Amino acid sequence: MSALGELRSIRGSTRGSPRKRDNRAALVFLLPWFGGLFLITLGPVAASLVLGFTDYNLIQPPEFNGVDNFTRMLSDERLHNALRVTFVYVVVSVPVQLACALGLAMLLDRGLRGMAFYRSAFYLPSLLGSSVAIAVLWRQVFGADGLVNQLLDLVGVQGRGWISDPSTALSTLIVLNVWTFGAPMIIFLAGLRQIPVMYYEAAAIDGAGRWKQFWRVTLPLLSPIIFFNLVLQIIHAFQSFTQAFVVSGGSGGPSDSTLFYTLYLYQRGFNNFDMGYASALAWLLLVIIAAFTAVNFWAAKYWVFYDD
Amino acid sequence: MRKLGAIFLATALTLGLAACGGDSGGGQELSDGPVTLRFTWWGSDARHQRTQQVIDLFQKEHPNITVKGEFKDWNGYWESLATTVAANDAPDVIQVDELYLASYAERGALLDLGTATKHLKTADFDAEALATGQVDGKQYALPVGLAAYSMVVNTDLLARYKVTPPDDGSWTWDDLKRIGEQISTASGGKVTGVQAFGFDAGSLNVWARQNGTSLYDDKGNVAIPPAVLAGFWSYLLDLTKSGAAPEASVTIERASASLDQSGTATNASAFGTWWNTQLTSLSAASGAKLRLLKMPGEAGARSPGAYYKPSMFWSVSSRSKHQAEAALFVDFLANDEAAANVLLTDRGVPANTKIRAAITPRLADTDKAAVAYLDTLEVGQAPRVTPNGASGIEAILKRHTEEVLFGRATPDQAAAAFIKELQAEIDGA
Repeated sequence: MSALGELRSIRGSTRGSPRKRDNRAALVFLLPWFGGLFLITLGPVAASLVLGFTDYNLIQPPEFNGVDNFTRMLSDERLHNALRVTFVYVVVSVPVQLACALGLAMLLDRGLRGMAFYRSAFYLPSLLGSSVAIAVLWRQVFGADGLVNQLLDLVGVQGRGWISDPSTALSTLIVLNVWTFGAPMIIFLAGLRQIPVMYYEAAAIDGAGRWKQFWRVTLPLLSPIIFFNLVLQIIHAFQSFTQAFVVSGGSGGPSDSTLFYTLYLYQRGFNNFDMGYASALAWLLLVIIAAFTAVNFWAAKYWVFYDD
Repeated sequence: MRKLGAIFLATALTLGLAACGGDSGGGQELSDGPVTLRFTWWGSDARHQRTQQVIDLFQKEHPNITVKGEFKDWNGYWESLATTVAANDAPDVIQVDELYLASYAERGALLDLGTATKHLKTADFDAEALATGQVDGKQYALPVGLAAYSMVVNTDLLARYKVTPPDDGSWTWDDLKRIGEQISTASGGKVTGVQAFGFDAGSLNVWARQNGTSLYDDKGNVAIPPAVLAGFWSYLLDLTKSGAAPEASVTIERASASLDQSGTATNASAFGTWWNTQLTSLSAASGAKLRLLKMPGEAGARSPGAYYKPSMFWSVSSRSKHQAEAALFVDFLANDEAAANVLLTDRGVPANTKIRAAITPRLADTDKAAVAYLDTLEVGQAPRVTPNGASGIEAILKRHTEEVLFGRATPDQAAAAFIKELQAEIDGA
């Protein structure tokens, strides 16, 4: 028997009953997850799709109303405003957040002393950022008598009620999101570690300075990681809810300047007994996020470099 | 994200459960076996404690009935109630606000208390007070207390800045603005004369009624003329621009904060609009001497702006399995003197006239002042109950007030937009 044949027979034997038993065991272990998937995720998702075509006030049974909910979206000015607010939030906060994350990751990558401490310290806001406590804190920090104004007062600048002024309220939420750059930072840090030192050495020998090394070595080799973070953070930003809900007290105010899409959806569903329309809105959000992600993947062909 | 998950979960549950709703009845016979009632309300810590004491008293009288309290803050109360009702899991006894009464009653979520008279007596209530809990002629809710809109004045601040208190029998809106400016000037801006209003339905109702109109007509459509509404916002804008009221962003911030952080409670404003029954909490928070004044403009008004607002109602879920026991418990809350001695005026000056007389000697001075205000006020006919669909009026009002104060819309634009939006909500319900 040739060596190859022997190998085959060994592999053949492992394909027998023990593996099948393994599979069965795996399914048993996965059962709780499947239960969750079908009962808590897919079931409600399907239900909301059906509800999206109904007039449903939460108390009386839903009534089928065709595509009324979707045609209504065309003339819903608050929805258009919510879309505008959400787009601004995504388009501004995600790139700034990623830039901060990358910058800090590169600083930390230079092997500072006590690096584990800094890494944790910078990561902390990510864990806290979408929590209610931080949003409440934000209210205090950016309030008329808050920390920011007290600091500005020290340097003689007249502050203002940042979160109660429609021209600045959204900016405070963007700052809050940028501040939670820890998760992408950790991923960037791991990505930077993967770049072989020899590329930098070679570049240095060829006379490339720091900037050139960053543009020609770091960025291209890191581009898959950047892409990953970009997709993830965009999706995450579209779904932001807690910050706006807490900071604006659930209103999306002042004068709808922080009315995130999800917040509007929530208001329609739970404050205005308009769950059919809210379900339709949820599906529109899904389509929007899917479209953004698709565009991202399409554009990735032109700038993401896979080194393999 | 977690909230969104909850939304999906809720929709799924409701889809499954809404179908099997229907009347589970319960009848009006008391059960001999153990019964558990669920009772939900919103309020402050003090209210939670008082209510729990009343529950204990009730349980002592009816050992087979257990009452489980589910209490929340006003924010979040309605979202939570909507989901429990949708999930066919509504509490048996529900504290309801006037804003939401019709929205729940017209959709069949509340029991017609007229069918529960075996255990629930209403003889000691004025017919006019009872009428506030009726929708389409049926008694869906029993008023708990009454309140009236008022101007709270900080007399300590007036004395400090040497401003004579106005005569509330004759004062006008111009007087309020003039006095407010005096105070702001005298204090160098540290204290503003008036805490701007325009965030609650009370102020708008009073304004509309003084102008001889009303927010809604009898059929439940928006009836306030755009010019009257624009006048309301022009006045607020004047107050802000003249310095009588604080600048817009401060006003907005205080409007969305709790009572304890308001201009009145922190002694940062000399005048503020409040429901008369809030006088006790405000006095406790500010520590200063506060007095209730009639609203400006009442003397020269085309019709009285003042009215009795039911502070809140008791209702029973139409799907309660223990309607008899629930009615018995509401009867205890509304008619029992021992319960009233615990609750006092926490939920408003009792609408039950017998109970009101019984507890008055036990009240603190500020509560007595609130009762006296109510007793001496000249009121007109109560406005129509907030129509089904308009429950969110205060959110809409607040948003347009913000637009006006920040100069993003003129009063005229805001008036047109407000009326259109509110009417659309009513039409859509």
